[in-house]
This record gives sequence, structure tokens and C-alpha cells, in this order.
Amino acid sequence: MQMTRNEIAEKLKDVFKMAVGSAYDEEKCTEDANLVTDLGLSSVGILYIVIAVEEFFGIQFDDVGFGDFRLVGDVLDYIEKKLAQ
Amino acid sequence: MVDFRKYTDENTFAKIVDYKSVGEMWKNSVASYPDDVAIVDGEALTYKQLDEQVCKMRAALQEKGIVAGDNVGILMPNSTAFAKAFLAITTLGAVAVLLPAHLDAMTVFGCSMKFGLKALIYAPALQEKTAFAAEKNPRLILLDETISSDKPSEIADVDGSAPCCVLFTGGTTGRSKGVLLSHSATMRGVKNGCYGYQHVFGQRYFLVLPLTHVFGLVRNLLTNFYTGSAIYICRNTKDMFKEIAVFKPTIMVLVPALAEMALNLSKQFGRNMLGADLKTIICGAAAVAPYLVREYDKFGVALLPGYGLTESANLVSGNPEALRKADSVGYIYEGMEYKIVDGELWLKGVNMMDGYVGEPEENAIAYEDGWFKTGDLVRMDEEGFLYITGRKKEIIVLSNGENVSPAELETKFGMIDTVQDCLVYETDGVLAVEILPRMAVVKALAIEDVEGHFKAKVNEINETLPAFMRVNKVIIRTTDFVRSPSMKIVRNQNANDKK
Repeated sequence: MQMTRNEIAEKLKDVFKMAVGSAYDEEKCTEDANLVTDLGLSSVGILYIVIAVEEFFGIQFDDVGFGDFRLVGDVLDYIEKKLAQ
Repeated sequence: MVDFRKYTDENTFAKIVDYKSVGEMWKNSVASYPDDVAIVDGEALTYKQLDEQVCKMRAALQEKGIVAGDNVGILMPNSTAFAKAFLAITTLGAVAVLLPAHLDAMTVFGCSMKFGLKALIYAPALQEKTAFAAEKNPRLILLDETISSDKPSEIADVDGSAPCCVLFTGGTTGRSKGVLLSHSATMRGVKNGCYGYQHVFGQRYFLVLPLTHVFGLVRNLLTNFYTGSAIYICRNTKDMFKEIAVFKPTIMVLVPALAEMALNLSKQFGRNMLGADLKTIICGAAAVAPYLVREYDKFGVALLPGYGLTESANLVSGNPEALRKADSVGYIYEGMEYKIVDGELWLKGVNMMDGYVGEPEENAIAYEDGWFKTGDLVRMDEEGFLYITGRKKEIIVLSNGENVSPAELETKFGMIDTVQDCLVYETDGVLAVEILPRMAVVKALAIEDVEGHFKAKVNEINETLPAFMRVNKVIIRTTDFVRSPSMKIVRNQNANDKK
């Protein structure tokens, strides 16, 4: 069954929590939060997300640059699109 | 000086010998391990097969007029072709100038002029970066990474003092500079990579660090060749764990951020993501959190923190596997001369660079009485273990091993018309920019959400930067920075206030 956007977002929060580490603030993890300046993700943190999302959702990222994701919502859009394929 | 002999079995230690040049080492490895796999990058090549290809590329370079002493650039992502180009250039006696693949076209052109490149070997994917250099610098010979010739070509007999390669670093002041390493410095750096652990020769390496970084080139690639090991080239870091599961590395050289990421992923997915065959992780290029050593112990993996610089051609100290002190960077290797002056580590030795290329002013700052001043503040305990206690230099070293020049970023943020002054520093492992707004302009533009305005501006600039240089935190100041009598921002005082 297709996951809803909310279900994806919930699952994604666990990934963000590990990727950000101790500075993680769930309240800040909204769709329009910037990955770098709002969540405080480093380049390695974003790499963590890509690897963990592939594992969690069973999808393969295309050859995207990490700079292609600006907001939490961009990651959600991408996962939604890939799951629908 | 601590004798590392006791930390490796006798037969293995006897094989850790000096070579005067990359060519001499390569010749020995090809003769000793002809049928063993040397490198895997899609296709696996044995030492003999790789040597045949190196020989063809060297012959092609000679046909193009490259001779000993010429500077030849390499602009490629990590690949077998990169390794071939490095070996072909250096075994010919020419000098390999390693240009990071993320440089823009203008900088590639700038480097071709500054380092007097006679030729530049490039990967086809990066052709648009070389086109500008070729147009502006018509004397530059552009060579595709596939160049090959069947004419015979021998490994040149190169003196140890001859220049071998140029690597980029931020050094002590942060401005990007070229570090010149001689053949003997490079080979001594390789030798240093063999001390302190048991499983040295015939290993399986897994490369994720850039080959343009000293840790990628010397501690991974060249130490791999020196030890008759096989190195796997991971082209896309996001696929590293899938590829690790297949290749099963026995040794990895990681920056702390990657070691931590692998550990967190292992915890999140409940399995050892680095594979059951891994015995050793060499960890350096940035401060190593002691808990990483303890956590990896639980997986049966010895994580050995060490300390090194581009200027020292690899690690200068490392923790012996048998007696690790998690918060220390280990013992200083033999042959390394050192002294501690006002807390700062000064170094001399065969492995040290021959200076920053074409930078007399930088060299004047970096050296005193022939000693290289590392800019790192250290202490040594009664057993001889070295500890890094702070930094004198401006450059920021992130946990992913990347060097970031705060001045370079401050120049970029300073160009925002609403910024009067700014300061970039590291806090909690990420980059922060502290901004003093130019209030007259902020008011004139009737900006109400000042914080939102600066975040948006910083984000705009972030998106033009390589991922590792992006600033995570934006702090708006309401009072001026602490300044020197000449009105310069006192960097340490301001940055430390916030830590």
C-alpha cells in the first residue's frame, strides 16, 4: 500500500534525529525547514540521510547532488516521487 | 623516540623499508605481487596489469614532450585513471599537481598559470572546467585520461630530493596553497602509515576520501601499493555500505565524521555496516572523539587515532593498536624531529614538505630556524603520548577532514549589502556565521524580519558553495565585535565567546 506523505514524514523524523545528533529539535523539522541552516545538517549529515532513506524506504537515489535538496519538503517530494514509480 | 617494532610481528616489520622514490616502490611492488589485485574500480587490475597501463600512459606523456621536472596537473575524480596518471607522471620524474575535482573553471586556469603546468590530464566529465584554461593558456597541453602509447618506457631513476607532487591545503592562514612534497617525503609518509598495527601487508583498502587529499593519496592509495594490498575505489559515497558488503575491506582510513556516520547507521539498522572482515580503522585529519574508539572496540575493530598534516605527507603520530589512548593522537613516529614551543608543535623530518609553492610570504610565516610550525597546540604525557589541545591557526578543520578558511567565507558574506561585518567559526562541529547588520541599510529597505532576511541571504550563498563549506548557523549581533586597536575583529576572542 502506498505510504501517505504524513507517514513518510514520521519515518523521516527518525532518520533526521540520527543525522543531526544531539542538536536535533523535532519542532524545527517542518516541511519548509532548510536542511542546512534550520536543522544544522553538515554535508556528512545529508549523506547520512541519503543512505538511511535508501535503506528505510527501499528506494535508490538517482545521481543527485546533495545540493539538490534544500528543504525537508524537497526530501519528502523526492521520496514520494520515487515510491510512486 | 618510541620504537614501533614491538607493535608489529617481526616478519611484517622487516618489510617496512625505505624507498627513495615512488618509482622504486612501484617497481618493487610489481615485482613482488604481480598477480595480486592492486585496484578495483568497476574492473579489477592486478599489479602487473596496472603497471602495463601505467607504462603506456607514461610513454604517451613522453611522446607529448613531458620530461622529468615538468609540472603536470591531474583533474579527475577518484578512479583507476587517477592512480594511473599519478604513477605515470611520478615514475617519469615529472611532478603531479593534484587539482581537487570541485575547483571551478577559473581556478583551474589560475592553477595552470600559478604552477606553470605544462600539461593537464583530465577526466572527460570535467572537460568544461578545462576548456576555459585551454582557451586562456594556449601553451597548456590538455590530455584525456585515456592517453596511451605502445612505445617502450622505463621507470626513471629519480633522486629522493626531487619534487614528486603538489597537494592543496589551507595551511596555517587559510588561503589555499600548494604543498610541495619530494619523493622521499612522500615515501616516508607512506612508511609512517605502516607503523603500530599487525595487519599491514596484503590488505583490502576501501577508498572514500579524495585522492587529492593527503590522506586519500598517501595513506590510502600509495600505502595500498606499498603493502601489496588491493584498493577499492568507491565512486559515490552514498553507495559505500552496499559496496563494502561485497568488497569486505580489512582496513579503512576514515575521517572522524565518516567513522561516526558508519557507527550511527550500524546502530540504526542493527548490523555492522563496515563488514565483518574489517580489523583496523585509521582515523585522522580532524579531532577524533574518544567514544568512537570505545564503540568500535565493541565491534572488534581497532580504531587508531592519529595526527598528520598535508605538510607532513601523512600522519606524524599514531596510536599503536596494542595500547590505545582514546583521547591521544599516539606516539610520534621514528625519524620525526619535534619540539614544543609555547605549546605549539614544531616539526622537522624527511617527510616534511619543501614549502608552499610560489609563496615566499607564507613560507616565511610557516617556518622558523628550519622548523615547520604546525599551528597546533599540544601536550605530551610522561609515556610520550601526544594530545592536541587547541589551535593557533585560523583555518577550521571540520570533523569530515575538510579545511575551511573562515576568511574566504567572510568575504562572501561581507558582500551582502546589509552586512556590516561578520565572523565565521566552528561551533558544535558545524559552521556558524555571526553577522553585525548594517542597520542603516536594513532600515532603508524596511526589512522587518531581520533574522529571516539574513538566513535567506546566507542560504543563497550556501547554495553556491561546495556542501562542506555551507554555514549551518546564523547569529545576528546587536553589539559590535570585540576589536583590536586597529579595529580588526579579534577572531579567537569573539569565536570563543560563543563556544
